[in-house]
Amino acid sequence: MKKQKLVSFLIHLCLIFMVMMTIAPFVWMLLSSFKTNAEINAIHPTLWPQNFTFDNYLKVQTQFHFMRYFANSLFVTVLITVLVGYTSTLGGFVLEKGRFRGRKLVFGLVLGTMMIPWFVTIIPKYSLMLKIGWIDMYSALVIPAAVSGFGIFMMKQSLTSLPDAMLQAARIDGASEWYVLHRIVFPMSRNAIASIVIFQFLWSWEDYLWPFLVMNSEGKQVLAVGLRLFNGRYSTDYGGLFAATAISIIPVVLIYIIFQKQFIDGLSSSSVKG
Amino acid sequence: MKKTMGAVLLAAALLIAGCWGGDAGKTNLKHDSTAEKGLEILGANVQFDPNVLMNNGEPIEVEFWVWDAEEIFRGIADSFSEIYPNVSIKVVSQPWQDYWTKLPLALQNGTGPAMFCIHNSQHENLVNYLQPYDIALEDLKADFSGVEGHVIDGQVYYIDYGMMSGSIFYNKDMWAAAGLNDSDIPKTWDEFASVAQKLTRYDDDGRLIQAGFNYNKDVKSMIIGLNYQKGQMMFDEDLQTLAMDNSITAENFQFLIDLYEEQGVGSKDFGISDGESFGQGQSAMVYKWGWYYNQMLSNYPDVQFGVFAVPTPSRDVPVAYDRYNGESTLGISGTADEASQEVAQAFVRYFMSNDEAMKELCLRYSIFPAKKTLVNDEDVKAHPVMKALAPNVERLVWPGPFPGVIETQMQQIFEDVVFNEMSVEETLEKGNALIVEDMQGSDFVTTERQYKYAKEMNTTR
Repeated sequence: MKKQKLVSFLIHLCLIFMVMMTIAPFVWMLLSSFKTNAEINAIHPTLWPQNFTFDNYLKVQTQFHFMRYFANSLFVTVLITVLVGYTSTLGGFVLEKGRFRGRKLVFGLVLGTMMIPWFVTIIPKYSLMLKIGWIDMYSALVIPAAVSGFGIFMMKQSLTSLPDAMLQAARIDGASEWYVLHRIVFPMSRNAIASIVIFQFLWSWEDYLWPFLVMNSEGKQVLAVGLRLFNGRYSTDYGGLFAATAISIIPVVLIYIIFQKQFIDGLSSSSVKG
Repeated sequence: MKKTMGAVLLAAALLIAGCWGGDAGKTNLKHDSTAEKGLEILGANVQFDPNVLMNNGEPIEVEFWVWDAEEIFRGIADSFSEIYPNVSIKVVSQPWQDYWTKLPLALQNGTGPAMFCIHNSQHENLVNYLQPYDIALEDLKADFSGVEGHVIDGQVYYIDYGMMSGSIFYNKDMWAAAGLNDSDIPKTWDEFASVAQKLTRYDDDGRLIQAGFNYNKDVKSMIIGLNYQKGQMMFDEDLQTLAMDNSITAENFQFLIDLYEEQGVGSKDFGISDGESFGQGQSAMVYKWGWYYNQMLSNYPDVQFGVFAVPTPSRDVPVAYDRYNGESTLGISGTADEASQEVAQAFVRYFMSNDEAMKELCLRYSIFPAKKTLVNDEDVKAHPVMKALAPNVERLVWPGPFPGVIETQMQQIFEDVVFNEMSVEETLEKGNALIVEDMQGSDFVTTERQYKYAKEMNTTR
């Protein structure tokens, strides 16, 4: 009993240490957003601001169009996340529960998309967008991201735990495939969808290079690109960058808080087959 | 509950995007039917005549990309639009880091801006997409210095509006605490070492607590200038092959090492960045280029600092004082439509004949104006960095827009010598060979032999 308590104590100690290691940079960034640049750059750094200042937060909006970028990011990210949540469930359902020739080949192709480094596709994707006239349009951000190989893979894995008998029963009762997907598969895959939503939201929110390349109008640009404006040619305005980053992570944190339970359950269900 | 929250979030996003999703750059452009505006022609030789119609008076919007100084360029753009009410210049700020990825891609595909800020280090990356200036070479040469280095087949695609070079920045409080005054400002490197020693402080345990001079992280900027002072060219006679593996470079490396190791004025372990160490009040002197002046003002406003000219090997006038690099005027897209190019050409003329705009930019980056009418401007003369540069500006060498790999590799070579205790000569030889290999595909040709006093320099290794 005593030994068990000691083990438990040590495990908790390790976990607390790891948690602290994980959140320390975040806390440092948050506190640094209230420091002057001189203090942030200090050779002997301080954790707590010595000269507390809100200037960094004030200049975030005055120096660049923070709220516009924030709203643009929110719009694009929410749209992509909703679409990916839907297409992943649809794709996963078809590939896991559908019975048709070439199913494995299609799934192999889907997996194949995950194995190509993303930056290799940038130039062909750019040329394609140019050809169809989507440069500087949100469709160039949303449409190519609307279907996710990872999402389909994850949903397919998750749907292995959904009994075929249940779907068959619905079909026998006259449910169409549309009905089965929307009224049975979707509600029963909430956890897995929540995991995808969190992942996708985070990826879309922090995506930089693609929006930077395809969006030219300042009014349509997203926050990840805006944040780079703090990195100047010779120096970085760390105070402004930290303040803007601190605000920019709020939606991501909110999404995680909302879907926290489903995220953990969803990850578990997707990682265990059968 | 969660469904509701999700729906609320989505609705909020769409609502906010709807509210802010409009294009702020949209303006109500008017037709311009008055060519003769009765406005004064600007400029002495490079002239801008506002009394013409732009784009036949039809409304037009052109894009202008910048990576910095947005407010200055926006001001110039707005004043241009005041002259031409049918023209809107949309100034778009892009992050410096990836500017050079996006710009060539956009220009190549014809989706780029009609005009843009340009940096000469990206010359090869961009030159194929540029349209030459529609300004006579003689006029450019009459108004600006350093035009010759930018002439390609009788045309220029951009020139310098200013020259940036190095100076010594010193901490005034430390200077006074060491009992030094203005008469102690060193003219030679020997005097400099002696002053640096006076500014260096150790604690009772013999630990360095204040460096008299700190060059950590920035040998790359110094070394080429030190070589020029001793008359050593960077490149071979073929104008393309780097020739930094010579005895002069080795001698200058050793000089810098000795400053730390023999004279004890600093240490390779005393902070990784000279600039930050100076800003934090830990180092009394640093060698920095003009841009550092404004960085000090904005990041370390409490530090009292001064600037003086780079010392030289002796009190005699050296062959050259240092290297300089130009800050470039605007690039015009060669792939933009004709009407946009017409506006861009006019805008470039307006910009280059506008002394106030040029001065503002020069002061912002502490760069010495290439425009001859600004050299004796009172504001320019009063600027500490320019005051230090002005007497020596004629003896600054521009080696041309060489690839960044040279500076990066030079820093690496130096660090290999001081941290990994490798031999100076051997490391230089290997490093030079690496750079030469790296530049194999480059079309770069140095302009250092166009330097006014090039004949006094050593053209061989």
